[in-house]
Amino acid sequence: MSERRLRDAGIFLAACVCGVAAGLFGVGGGVLLVPMLGILFAFTQHRAQGTSLVALIPPTSLLALLAYAKAGYVSWHAGLLLIPGIFVGGILGGVLAKKIEPLRMRQVFAGIMFALGAWQAVSAWRH
Amino acid sequence: MMILAILLLGLGVGVLVGLLGVGGGAVLVPAMVYLLGMDQHMAQGTSLLILLPPLGLGALISYWKRGQVDLVAGILCALGMLTGGYFGSRIAIPLSSRSLRALFGCFLMVVALMLWRKSMMGGNTSSLANENKSNV
Repeated sequence: MSERRLRDAGIFLAACVCGVAAGLFGVGGGVLLVPMLGILFAFTQHRAQGTSLVALIPPTSLLALLAYAKAGYVSWHAGLLLIPGIFVGGILGGVLAKKIEPLRMRQVFAGIMFALGAWQAVSAWRH
Repeated sequence: MMILAILLLGLGVGVLVGLLGVGGGAVLVPAMVYLLGMDQHMAQGTSLLILLPPLGLGALISYWKRGQVDLVAGILCALGMLTGGYFGSRIAIPLSSRSLRALFGCFLMVVALMLWRKSMMGGNTSSLANENKSNV
């Protein structure tokens, strides 16, 4: 029983860390939560993904969003226009992923992302 | 014209997210910075707005049916992320746009490495469509 409580406390703390990253970078946080559940708490990949979805249903980014909005850092116009496209696009992407093998594409995209991140970090550093 | 561009950008980002299984925000933020010319803070704040609706609901239901959901852990995670998110935003807002961009660049590299690791583990294709939704 107490071991279970310890695990629960650990999960809460790990999620707090993911939340800090989510608020800091304006992202959902699932990208960090899934591997954390897997590595720290021995969840299988599917269970980690399913569980992280529970955490992404309630508006967990609400407090962060309010803080950004208060500072004037939210473009409501662009944001609301982007939502329908992402919704439809996400469904299309899911269908497409079943038809083709996205493994190679993931690797190419990971490479592009890494290069973009490195370039962004270096260029911001040098200015 | 601008409205059409934003609508199409959303569609493109959505397809990428669904196809690759990368986090929506990790694609959205750079897309808004480079394609819509937004400031780093503005892109991040707007990304948080876009992530509010429960887009993963359909995927959650399919995981639930297969018994792959730990509800207690999920609720704890939601509470933790809500709390952590507030502190994260308190860190981000006073930073200069330039430092935030540099930090975001490092974050992108971490996400890229995770995506690479995921492709190395080789997902079974049948679960990919669900997997793809999980990181939104």
